[in-house]
Amino acid sequence: MTTSRPPAAPRTLAEELRARPDDELAALLLARPDLINPVPGDLTQLATRAGTRASVVRALDHLDKFTLQAAEALAVAPDPCPYATLAALMSGDAPDDPRVARELPRAVAVLRGQALVWGGDDRLRLVRTARELLAPGATRPSPTGLGPSVAEATAGMSPGRIQQIIAAAGLPTTHDPVTAVTALTELFEDRTRMAALLAGAPAEAAAVLDRLRWGPPYGTVTAHPAPHLRWLLDRGLLLPVGTGNVVLPREVALHLRAGRAHRTPEPVAPELAPVTEHAERTVDATAAGQAFTALATVEELLKEWETGGPLVLRAGGLAVRDLKRTAALLDTTEPVAAFWVELAYAAGLLAADGDVDERYAPTPVYDEWLELPTAQRWTRLATAWLTATRAAGLVGGRDAKSRTLAALGPDLDRAPAPETRHRVLALLATLPPGASVPVETVLARLHWERPPRAVTGPEEDLRTRLARWALTEAELLGVTNRGALSGHGRALLPPAAGADDVPGPLRPAWRPPTDAELGAAGVRAAGLLAPLLPEPLDHILLQADLTAVAPGPLVRPLAQTLGVLANIESRGGATVYRFTPGSVRRALDAGRTADDLKAFLTAHSRTPVPQPLAYLVDDVARRHGHLRVGAASSYVRCDDEAVLAEILADRRSAPLRPRRLAPTVLAAQVPPDALLDGLREMGYAPAAESAEGDVLITRADAHRTPPRTAPAPLQEGPPAPDTTLLAAAVRAIRAGDMAATAERKPLPTAAEPSLGGLPRTTSADTLAAVQAAVLTGTPVWIGYVNAEGAASQRVIAPVRVEGGFVTAYDHTADEIRTYPLHRITGVAELADDHA
Amino acid sequence: MNGPLIVQSDKTLLLEVDHEQAEACRRAIAPFAELERAPEHIHTYRVTPLGLWNARAAGHDAEQVVDALVAYSRYPVPHALLVDVAETMARYGRLRLLKHPTHGLVLESTDRPVLEEILRSKKIQPLVGARIDPDTVAVHPSERGQIKQSLLKLGWPAEDLAGYVDGEAHPIELREDGWTLRPYQRQAVEGFWHGGSGVVVLPCGAGKTLVGAGAMAQAKATTLILVTNTVSARQWKHELVKRTSLTEDEVGEYSGTKKEIRPVTIATYQVLTTKRKGVYPHLELFDSRDWGLIVYDEVHLLPAPVFKFTADLQARRRLGLTATLVREDGRESDVFSLIGPKRFDAPWKEIEAQGYIAPADCVEVRVNLTDSERLAYATAETEEKYRFCSTTATKRRVTEALVARHKGEQTLVIGQYIDQLDELGEHLGAPVIKGETTNAQREKLFDAFRAGELSVLVVSKVANFSIDLPEATVAIQVSGTFGSRQEEAQRLGRVLRPKADGHEARFYSVVARDTVDQDFAAHRQRFLAEQGYAYRIMDADSLLAGEEA
Repeated sequence: MTTSRPPAAPRTLAEELRARPDDELAALLLARPDLINPVPGDLTQLATRAGTRASVVRALDHLDKFTLQAAEALAVAPDPCPYATLAALMSGDAPDDPRVARELPRAVAVLRGQALVWGGDDRLRLVRTARELLAPGATRPSPTGLGPSVAEATAGMSPGRIQQIIAAAGLPTTHDPVTAVTALTELFEDRTRMAALLAGAPAEAAAVLDRLRWGPPYGTVTAHPAPHLRWLLDRGLLLPVGTGNVVLPREVALHLRAGRAHRTPEPVAPELAPVTEHAERTVDATAAGQAFTALATVEELLKEWETGGPLVLRAGGLAVRDLKRTAALLDTTEPVAAFWVELAYAAGLLAADGDVDERYAPTPVYDEWLELPTAQRWTRLATAWLTATRAAGLVGGRDAKSRTLAALGPDLDRAPAPETRHRVLALLATLPPGASVPVETVLARLHWERPPRAVTGPEEDLRTRLARWALTEAELLGVTNRGALSGHGRALLPPAAGADDVPGPLRPAWRPPTDAELGAAGVRAAGLLAPLLPEPLDHILLQADLTAVAPGPLVRPLAQTLGVLANIESRGGATVYRFTPGSVRRALDAGRTADDLKAFLTAHSRTPVPQPLAYLVDDVARRHGHLRVGAASSYVRCDDEAVLAEILADRRSAPLRPRRLAPTVLAAQVPPDALLDGLREMGYAPAAESAEGDVLITRADAHRTPPRTAPAPLQEGPPAPDTTLLAAAVRAIRAGDMAATAERKPLPTAAEPSLGGLPRTTSADTLAAVQAAVLTGTPVWIGYVNAEGAASQRVIAPVRVEGGFVTAYDHTADEIRTYPLHRITGVAELADDHA
Repeated sequence: MNGPLIVQSDKTLLLEVDHEQAEACRRAIAPFAELERAPEHIHTYRVTPLGLWNARAAGHDAEQVVDALVAYSRYPVPHALLVDVAETMARYGRLRLLKHPTHGLVLESTDRPVLEEILRSKKIQPLVGARIDPDTVAVHPSERGQIKQSLLKLGWPAEDLAGYVDGEAHPIELREDGWTLRPYQRQAVEGFWHGGSGVVVLPCGAGKTLVGAGAMAQAKATTLILVTNTVSARQWKHELVKRTSLTEDEVGEYSGTKKEIRPVTIATYQVLTTKRKGVYPHLELFDSRDWGLIVYDEVHLLPAPVFKFTADLQARRRLGLTATLVREDGRESDVFSLIGPKRFDAPWKEIEAQGYIAPADCVEVRVNLTDSERLAYATAETEEKYRFCSTTATKRRVTEALVARHKGEQTLVIGQYIDQLDELGEHLGAPVIKGETTNAQREKLFDAFRAGELSVLVVSKVANFSIDLPEATVAIQVSGTFGSRQEEAQRLGRVLRPKADGHEARFYSVVARDTVDQDFAAHRQRFLAEQGYAYRIMDADSLLAGEEA
């Protein structure tokens, strides 16, 4: 079949993909991983899937600015489009930026690699879906700001009107509208003739054209347009779309733009400048200091939540009031507090406890975390932050239904978050150590790498916001300092990060780092961070104003004991503790004795224990425990001390657990009625006493609830299937299994429909055939089973295939209808003689 | 990275005193950080906007502040704090009050948006006149103080460069025969004069009167001195006649009893703030002469109406003298905007170390209430509790024991409640000075005390301020005004005057155990401890037992 003659130009994307070597296909699949999910059966299926709307949108989303601009230019160019035409569209009639010409081959290569463009350089073809997405429609301008072409804009115009226009434009009249339109298009595309035409334009008309030049190309006119507008309309320089609206045809705009599809082509990524250099050592040290603060903050937060953490809202998340309280506790703003809370949550240190009135509390992982060396504790937080999809920055904002987004609540996950964080850090990593650039520069670069889709509303697009948050959060976490990436922050990234400054022809889609990679990065970062962190101290300084100053972080046992014995007054590099009667009492409550505490202070203080402090401890201890409080369920009172002594001595009283509080009072640990029974069994005749000391007369009093219905049994899971359903399910499974494994006879040819049965094709073939029909605009014949199971045959002209539905003009019903693909039993082409 | 300074996240600075660089560091941070606590090992300074603006007013810039923090810090300084410092400092001086050759007093801005922002404020609008050019707006000269106050509240303190009127000239010289201004006093005078107006902070007994005299000798102009009470006024007069070229006739007293207006006039706050039929009749004193200098003694006690008058005196040089900038009413910012920024400050301990004030031994004596007193205390009405526990009979016995212990030393017994003092005076056989004691009688008793004819004096809180009792070496406080910190400072000041023999001063505070008295005492003593005066706590029982032994 193959001969020695050069391979013919591919006729479809599938054909071209078939001709591509394996590694290119692999690269394509790597760049667009959605194509292998699930694995396509063959290249036709692959090409079909690559042409679906969802997949194309996704691929376009991942293009850099210049590549996207090239794609946009292709969308307004003739199809197919020679490379030279594209180049002209990109750089215009008078190329002034040599970088455009230099970078364009790369852009085309990327598009080709992504299977968005196919065909040789002489006939580049943009995938049809991409073209639809990017090309200007009748009412929708393209990102280029260009309108529809003359041919498209005049589609519904009466032939007479077209003839008038070409006459006004100074062209000879033609016999039919098609040639007239062609002639007009040619005129508009001819720079010299066009210049001559426009030279005669009134000044106001030129101004109107100038206003519409870079788009949007639409304007409105009244029923009786002003003379200058009339002049433009007469010559087809503005064409009507609908009533009162006009559009600047693409060819005219291109002439006005000197052939350029974009006002400013952006062939290369904006530079990361101006660079501010900080001393690398300072950046690392200060970032380490901040890293330490971050740990202290998280620890403080979780320590506070150890007892009586905030309640979980019914809708999930933290109440605004609790967030406020947390912010006050951490002495920070609410957004920052939300960040710390979310960070602890992402690192698994914090979760809802799942109790009846659900509260947030530290997890067992927190205890393990506390045992880790300081540097490793930090890397645990940092890596958790880096890979989390939760975006703390959203807290306090509102969702689509304008409900407030709560910290720790649902709907805070944003899939692009980890990628954005990685990318931001990777960009900073391309700078020399200690160097920083302004935030806006980083954002501009990200914008270029992944231009946001058309922005709607005043809010910035998600990625930009995520990037902003990433920068602030990195600073809080001590990953960066003064905008510069620290040494340990750099170590968190894969070793090659920062090298891929210029996006290659086919950058593989970002994938989150594996646990092993993260682990390795964590070890690297911890190694760099550890020496920068302050050594924990084992001593404090005691002062006469009843404060203790720890001039640095303390070893944990010391910090814990001191935390009980004194209140923390100020934090930072050092910690200031204040001793108050209350704090000393707390320590005594925790089981310490006065001597114990004084010995502890003497042992850990660099300075002698001040007299007032020792006095304070003694003074509080003197009063501590002076009053004793306990719980007793009931008591026995008797004026005869001997009787009480008797009860105590009686072995039968043991289950009542009596304890003598005073000569005439016994306390017991059983409820009064049990105590009464017990005493009666022992042969006494006790009487019950009210709170006021009166003797109670007891009668058996039957207690009733208000009317209640019996509880409905709780259903666990869906009801069990009955036998018929079960049998049907098994049959269906068996049938499917058989179909997949059975050896088949070759299918009968397409002549079969004439037999009157429904056409039968596999679903992949159906999809391919319907999509081909969309491209060619030809009607097809389908078999269709409706929701009630009724089969029918229809002739349809598919218009669009997306999301599992075919939208088509149904010749049988004479209207536009939408068919689910899975209900189409098969597709067959119509015989040629069909109208 | 082993400096003496630790920067805390709440913007306090901890300075390790025993560090070798501590002194250099203290010097570097003193201009912008307020010394908050100075116990024995670690001093706490606080960086506040006011402090930073004080530093700006004194000619320091943000870079110096940041350098000082970074250079002496033990741990890396949080970047956010440095940014905050720079931003706060940059707010000072964006707005300046200037004297315009044709438009008079104007507010000029180097930053137009700031000017726009403040002109939109409802508080500022009534104070300004016409817009002269985009960066300048006229200010009614009478509102010079008001606008400074309001601008500070808005967070844009104005730099007052509008200058001062010279006032009516009057020759005043210091007469340094056999004495000279101490170096720190000279620095204080220079600091003040250079800055134009402002506050000098010196501990009690450090010779603030002489700083005032020095300032007057610089100004050589008629001077109005505002003091807290008549006794204090007399002492000022006495000192001025003794230390300067001024004669008795040149110094007038304007008080409840006398209404003299002389080139140098000493007026009491009380007479100025006397209100009759809704007006302040003595207010015209301010306009009665073309004063060249106004001295405010004990600025931290400046009554609120005087602030109002001061707002109208912004064209005159103002000197504030005080032992502490802490005001119980929190009006520190009014002192800043109306009198001026802090121009000089020296911690007590330092001046004490130089031998200018006496070291003090502070002791709290805890008195056990008797069982019947405890029961009575427990059942007392809340508002009566403090009075009850601070005037308990047990205290009297302890006070007597203390007086007996220091027999022969000049002893002051200070208290709050008159009947308690009367009773004490009776038991101790000592005269009592209280509100109703006439000034003549007071001076007579003071003179006798000074001369050593009297060794024990019982005083109420009227004697809190400005009286000079050089020979008091023991002070016994039996009751205080609740938890007032500045009162404690004043009382300690009573015994801190340098003693002829270099004897250590003693300050006793008698406190009833387990009562609100103890809580208030703890609050006051915290201030002492923070000033570096370590105090001891003694049990009254052991004290009494010691007496017997």
